[in-house]
Amino acid sequence: MASDAVLVIGGGPSGLRAAHGVAQLGIRTILVEKREFLGGTPIAENYAGLTPRGEPAEPQLRHMAELVSQEPTADVRLGTELVAFDGEPGQFRATLRSAAGEETVECGSVVVATGFQHFDPGRETQMYGYYEFPDVIALQDLESMLKDHTVVRPSNGQPPERVCFIQCVGSRDRHIGNEYCSKVCCGVASKEAIEVRQLLPNSKVYIFYIDMRMYGYWESQIYWPAQEQHHVQYVKGIITEVLPRGDRLLVRGEDTTMGRPMELAMDLVVLSVGMEPSMGTRTMAKLLGVAQNKYGFIDAVGSPLDPVVTSREGIFACGAALGPADLEDSVSSGANAAMKAAAFLRTRAGAVSA
Amino acid sequence: MTETLAHYKAPVVAGYPDVPLAEKQRLFDEIRGDIRFADYLYGCYECGICVAACPSARFYDFSPRRIAQAAAREDVELVYQQMQEDIWECSQCFSCLRCPRGNNPGGIITIMREVAVNNGMASAREALAGYSRIIYKIMSTGTQVSPDMLQPDAFPDWGPETGDVSTHLDLWRRALPSETLHTTSTGWAVDDKTLVELYLIWFHTGALDVIKDVDRGLHAILQEVMEERLEEEGIQI
Repeated sequence: MASDAVLVIGGGPSGLRAAHGVAQLGIRTILVEKREFLGGTPIAENYAGLTPRGEPAEPQLRHMAELVSQEPTADVRLGTELVAFDGEPGQFRATLRSAAGEETVECGSVVVATGFQHFDPGRETQMYGYYEFPDVIALQDLESMLKDHTVVRPSNGQPPERVCFIQCVGSRDRHIGNEYCSKVCCGVASKEAIEVRQLLPNSKVYIFYIDMRMYGYWESQIYWPAQEQHHVQYVKGIITEVLPRGDRLLVRGEDTTMGRPMELAMDLVVLSVGMEPSMGTRTMAKLLGVAQNKYGFIDAVGSPLDPVVTSREGIFACGAALGPADLEDSVSSGANAAMKAAAFLRTRAGAVSA
Repeated sequence: MTETLAHYKAPVVAGYPDVPLAEKQRLFDEIRGDIRFADYLYGCYECGICVAACPSARFYDFSPRRIAQAAAREDVELVYQQMQEDIWECSQCFSCLRCPRGNNPGGIITIMREVAVNNGMASAREALAGYSRIIYKIMSTGTQVSPDMLQPDAFPDWGPETGDVSTHLDLWRRALPSETLHTTSTGWAVDDKTLVELYLIWFHTGALDVIKDVDRGLHAILQEVMEERLEEEGIQI
């Protein structure tokens, strides 16, 4: 007998959207989240505002979580991990472990929404001193400060006068192995740059980039305002190294459009770290037996026109578990995966009863 | 007709000998045909990380990024222009390997230099003129700069101790812990067997022939030194 439930793994934006979508169709939904709270990386990493428009992240994600919790057919399990998985498409058995112990549940299809993690800027060839200089931080560290509406230099607690963002840290790099563009960092950095300029009107803010990638509406929503209203300085040329100079940091690079080397003193250096598959994505892919691409993300075998299908029948994936994705992409593919998972369940139920 | 790009300075303006376009194309094909080329150049973002890492770029109008770009664009005019001067401004330190695309601008320069030397280009002769003593030392002794070359008149910017050291050079050298460094006319002690093997390598690999196109006089001296030594060993080339 085919199971009547969909198992959603991961309670971030795409997992919440998928769980909500399945539940809205009146189908039993089991949402498993490893952490003790819903909302995923935006909550875990203290994001201040959502890109592109900067609405406060926490209430937005809380609202998404409530939409799921309020559905009578949704069964939300926090602090719970999937530890074993077997069975056949339409009749999978998943063993869930929580503080209360282990329990095996049946499900007809699965949605994997295990997301990404930020690239660790201390890794490999990066020479930006993230673990060496307190005033070298990453995008998510600045998000935390913006959430508290106080942007200061970690070294002395003073507001910075000169701030710069270094783009493509851990992305688009053959040596590191992350050859892909992480898609969101240009927009996130520019959004944060605007927020820093609003908070500290006397500050000078630079963004050092290889290519600015703010496609579609992000152009007029973020890029143009950053330049035209907030006077963020965009310089095409990536920083090669960060060096201590007095109590400031010296960043060295080439201003490529001007064709000259540059050295600038900064108070705060923000590394625009890219996305990598989360540990959850790597672990779940192996446990569920779905193929991963060479970067460790789950392989979207039906891409581009059926982008949430994995290599295993009945198992779908969405959001940043499939690769770098912004919030709009994540929730869209979450809804897509919900529809595919629900439809798969119905097809199987029909086949079994017939 | 030659296509002239904005960044390209005509040979007559830049002050180097012009050659027909077909010759520039031939030199470029030789560079691109090198077995290493595909590993040294993928594609360029123009991010400038190589320039920022490059010591020469701080002191010259030199850019490893322009080297990579000219080669990637297959701009034979610009590549030919770079073979006149730019490629000799590189110190071959390979700091540019920091390239996120995995390019090796310094390696492209290595190939460009070899092509310049192998084709007896005037720029190669000119660039290597100052190095004839070094080339002589390396090829005849297997060691590079020897202690007795470090004379105060040749290196006035090395400070007052240079004179004192060169006066008592032998004493200073003998103060070094390693006995193989108790030398003044070579960088370190080179034994006879090594030297003979080295000369055979220069002959058989064609390294000695390369010198002929760049410095005929130096080539003649080296050939004589080597042949004489090999003859003593009873080896006929």
